[in-house]
Amino acid sequence: MRVLIVEDDPDLRDSLTNRLRSAGFNVDSAADGEEGLYAGREYPIDLAVIDLGLPKISGLDVIRRLRAEGKTFPILVLTARDRWQDKVEGLEAGADDYVPKPFHFEELNARLQALLRRSGGWAAPTLTCGDINLDTRTQQVTVSGAPVELTSFEYRVLECLMIRAGEVLSKTELTERLYDQDFERDSNVIEVFIGRLRKKLDPQNTRQPIETLRGRGYRMALPRTALKSSN
Amino acid sequence: MRSLSARLLLSLSLLLLVFFGVTVAALTFVFRDLSERSLRDLLDVQVLALISASDVDASGRFNPPSGVLDTRYSTPGSGLYAEIRDSHANVRWRSPSALGTGIEFGAPVGRGQRLYRVLRLANGSDVVAVSAGYRWEIAPHVAEDFEFSVASSLAPSRAQLARFRGQLFAWFGALAALLVVSLALLLRRVLEPLRRVADEIRAVDAGERSALSADYPSELAGVTQGLNALLKSERLRVERYRNTLGNLAHSLKTPLAVMRSFLGEEPAAAGRSRILDEQIERIDSIVQYQLKRSVTFGTATLGQSGVAIMPVLNDLRVSLLRVYRDKDLVIRVECPPTIEFVGDRGDLMELLGNLLDNACKYCRATVRVEARFAAEATPSRFTLLVEDDGPGVPAEARQRILDRGVRVDESTAGQGLGLSIARDIVAQYGGELRVAESTLGGARFDLTLPGRPTRSAANQ
Repeated sequence: MRVLIVEDDPDLRDSLTNRLRSAGFNVDSAADGEEGLYAGREYPIDLAVIDLGLPKISGLDVIRRLRAEGKTFPILVLTARDRWQDKVEGLEAGADDYVPKPFHFEELNARLQALLRRSGGWAAPTLTCGDINLDTRTQQVTVSGAPVELTSFEYRVLECLMIRAGEVLSKTELTERLYDQDFERDSNVIEVFIGRLRKKLDPQNTRQPIETLRGRGYRMALPRTALKSSN
Repeated sequence: MRSLSARLLLSLSLLLLVFFGVTVAALTFVFRDLSERSLRDLLDVQVLALISASDVDASGRFNPPSGVLDTRYSTPGSGLYAEIRDSHANVRWRSPSALGTGIEFGAPVGRGQRLYRVLRLANGSDVVAVSAGYRWEIAPHVAEDFEFSVASSLAPSRAQLARFRGQLFAWFGALAALLVVSLALLLRRVLEPLRRVADEIRAVDAGERSALSADYPSELAGVTQGLNALLKSERLRVERYRNTLGNLAHSLKTPLAVMRSFLGEEPAAAGRSRILDEQIERIDSIVQYQLKRSVTFGTATLGQSGVAIMPVLNDLRVSLLRVYRDKDLVIRVECPPTIEFVGDRGDLMELLGNLLDNACKYCRATVRVEARFAAEATPSRFTLLVEDDGPGVPAEARQRILDRGVRVDESTAGQGLGLSIARDIVAQYGGELRVAESTLGGARFDLTLPGRPTRSAANQ
């Protein structure tokens, strides 16, 4: 999943970038409102973390402009000004959640995971498609109740597919979500990982949970069994 | 004497009284002098008429007046009396009108003399009298002295004087009344801007307007413009103060966030980083608590309008529903649109935000907010309750829960500052905050705060 961090403090930005990368995100970072707005417009972002006190364009304005331009990805506000007035302003501008500074990374990560789930239409932290169950909190995957061992990259591919279960994700989209902007992209790698995932999730090749649509991409074919959230 | 206009009116009335008193006295004096003078002229004419009516015949005998004389001489008590005496003070003639009046002209005057006197008659009335001595040549080289006296009643002229004085008082009284009334009206008009300033200052104080209007007369404009400048600078000062505190919060919290983020990157030194993390937590909660307290004002800043609470509740409701989307909860708000909080919007939002956030955090599925005026008769306070269907607060913890940093339930994230900040805000506005049990099963927070009906509602 590709996340954009807009934070003017270089130390906090670097630290957040590192930790989000280790948590499996593909991270873009921006140091001011202008850069943030540009990145939000131009990159296929899944999620944005925006500090409110930004140079050049304020965080609130960045959020308002992105929303005005029809960007619907979830936005989490990072703020040092945590009076309710500021929180309400941020949420009214179009943010989906806020985390006051100083925060524990674990809490931020949990909130981000929740936002991602919700943006895919999942209300609960466990995603279930057919007999495949993925717990976003523990990153555990089970098939018919039996745990399946996945590598970190395999997990991220599966999470991507399951969050958008039912939708077609192109190889390019998957690559952009899973690789950092600086890495060399090779869409063949995706095919390899999809192949491994299929073997692990469906060794007998009976249910075919991941569908290949020729020339278009991949889709999680098993039906969602958890309730969709009201959004 | 508290009122300027009363003071002015009283002084002017006193001044008018003195002025009119002196005028009336002077006019009366002049009038009396004039009427006395004309009375004397009248008497002199009567004396001449007497002389011309008298006659001395060839034998030297004095013939008393005969022929055409004023008819009043023949009517007793008519008010016009005459007497002629010779040099031996023998009365040679007396008008019939003097009969029974007991008039005495007193010591005779010498030849060529003329004397004006005021005499009192037997019936007590006054007359003014003139006695004039003449030498009458009876024959060549024979002459005799005669004294002619005429008296006229003072009653008519005194009555005239009284009438004159009466009319004078009536006219001057009416004039004085007219002056005082027009002065009072004038004062009202002149002092009207002052009254308006007072009204507008009251309105500013009550938060119904933000500044005094600009259309004052030039004498007052200095004062009102000065006041407006003061109001503005006060508001700017408050704003600057808040911005400074906000910036301070921002500049303190970002380094804390950096420290915390770096701590988490090194799981190897878990023991030490836990201690450091706790210290960061402490610093953060102190910064948060003190900053929130210091931006709480406790009163409406001068010239700030009241805050309708319904929009604030609705904003918070929408925000909280978004934040707690996973919980699938219902927030019911029952609040008449007419309630205004007398105070700062930020304070109200902080207070209600903390209470509602707390309710959303602990509820199962329902949060209910209800606001209404404390008493219909004097809507200067309103009550607000926030309740939820969560586990509630045990009776023994209800007081403690409002203390700083105390959380009854340690399983839900948060620093336990929200409720104590809410308590502080309520206390600063002289309100009340109590924790009770909700009929929904959870906790219920009862609030009382200073409020008032919106102006449009108050005017109905």
